[in-house]
Amino acid sequence: MRRRLIITFLAPALILYLGFVVLPAVRAFYYSFFQTSGFKDQAHWVGFGNYVALAGDPIFWLTVGNMLLILFVGGIAVFGFAFLFTILINSGLWGKKLFRALIFMPNIIAVVGLSTFWSFVFMPRYGLLTNFLNSIGLSGLAVIPWTAPEHLFWSMLVGLVWISAGFFTILVLAGADKIPTDMYDAARIEGATNRQMFRFITLPMIWDVIMITLILWVIEAIRMMEYPYAFGGPNIDQNLYTPAIYLFIMGFGQRQPVYELGYATAIGVAMFVFTALAVLVIGALTRRERVEF
Amino acid sequence: MLKAHVIRRSWKTALAYLIVGGWSLFAVLMILWIIIASLKTTRSLFGAPWTLPSAPAFSNYVKVWVSNRFDDYFLNSILVVSASVLVLLLVAVPAAYVLSRGKFLGRGAILNFFIFGMGVPVPLLFIPLVVLTTELGVIDTLMGLSIVYVSVSLPFTIYVLQGFFSSLPAELESAAVIDGCSDWQVFWHVMLPLAAPGAATVAILNFVALWNEYQLSLILISSPENRTLSLGIYSLITSMQYSGGNWPGLFAGVTMVMLPTIALYIFLSERMISGITMGGVK
Repeated sequence: MRRRLIITFLAPALILYLGFVVLPAVRAFYYSFFQTSGFKDQAHWVGFGNYVALAGDPIFWLTVGNMLLILFVGGIAVFGFAFLFTILINSGLWGKKLFRALIFMPNIIAVVGLSTFWSFVFMPRYGLLTNFLNSIGLSGLAVIPWTAPEHLFWSMLVGLVWISAGFFTILVLAGADKIPTDMYDAARIEGATNRQMFRFITLPMIWDVIMITLILWVIEAIRMMEYPYAFGGPNIDQNLYTPAIYLFIMGFGQRQPVYELGYATAIGVAMFVFTALAVLVIGALTRRERVEF
Repeated sequence: MLKAHVIRRSWKTALAYLIVGGWSLFAVLMILWIIIASLKTTRSLFGAPWTLPSAPAFSNYVKVWVSNRFDDYFLNSILVVSASVLVLLLVAVPAAYVLSRGKFLGRGAILNFFIFGMGVPVPLLFIPLVVLTTELGVIDTLMGLSIVYVSVSLPFTIYVLQGFFSSLPAELESAAVIDGCSDWQVFWHVMLPLAAPGAATVAILNFVALWNEYQLSLILISSPENRTLSLGIYSLITSMQYSGGNWPGLFAGVTMVMLPTIALYIFLSERMISGITMGGVK
């Protein structure tokens, strides 16, 4: 390949990527050292002031707490379902492709649509859940206010897990499908149980897939905004705040404008650091010899 | 003994069908329920949420289509998303080709540099992108939104495409070179036709992702006439606080945004799923 072709083929992608992803990311770090409410306004250099303020901001720590709940509680549920569905679908069910397609389907529907549906499910008094519980005679459960502050986050998490479980099921399933079936045949002849086969064949063989899916989940969970933000609707409750939502509200305001642009970008930088740390930790925890076959 | 074993097995299979089937059915029922809800009156939606409407209230659609300007939103979405996907392919396919088949110093580093972009949280870019598009005079325009869409979609697209190019046999390329093809001809006549299925797959995946996204349009678009469909629904949710709950109208909007992607999915689900798993699981 000639040099000229390489340069012409690479240049447009590199320019767009550098200009609209890399440069803005670098500028974000720079902005986070200023106190500024807009571009015409005089920006004050505050050094690490925004980060110091962030460290003492209880709302920020609330958002970090929510992020960790999504990451761990949501993550355990998502991967639990993904493995469960993989095992069940691969246990010889008829219609594997159909089930896989339907389990994944929420991921191709607009998030605003899904959050609208789930808002109606958990709506107080008239919601589908309350209605359903009443109709099967569980009026004791039906009176629970699912959108009350203490339940709201968990109601949100239900829909989030439902969507994400479909996404990670197809990844885990694809990983399991690349394992040669004769390994199971051999193990079965040797008298291995299903659990042993999962522990000693499936898990080691898809270890690299598990690592990639964990990294994808961590990236997704830390930058989570669209589903909880739309689920919260207007005047979103603080119990639904994720770092990204808090960033958005500090930067662009909710009902009243806030325009703390430097502070908001500092939240973004914190999210970037969380992501980098989490990816490094996963890399270190899952480092082991890759099984070649 | 054997009989008990068979019974236990069939029990387990039935349970597997129940769990997997129930979960799958839920998504289908949800879609049907949303469509039915969009055809009901507010009173019947709240009073009897599980029943079919006595007469379909198409007026919900007329109302959001006309008074909530969903006609504009729909057109904007079609325009922005198609233009973005087209430009994305024009930019990403050649780059991915060079990054997977080229032999030059720094190839791996540039590829990793692109892949690294998948880990950058988009919210980090919110404020810098607003500043940048303001400086360029393209904030609150469909063009500005498209440029940003193309740029943030590059990492995933190049990642999947280069995996696809790498899976193509090298013999074809060297055969074409021996036959006297220039490197442009190799790309255009040999590799591009082979890569067409991969390009089509990333095109569909990006179409669906951009059609559904609303966080970037939320920060970049402020004029109501420039809203995309997803953003239009979000603003409808926000406005319900003041106008009372026009839930059937909201579900009519949701039906409009979800039907195109569901229609694509019915025909192309296998291809979409294999495209995503190819990216994540090589």
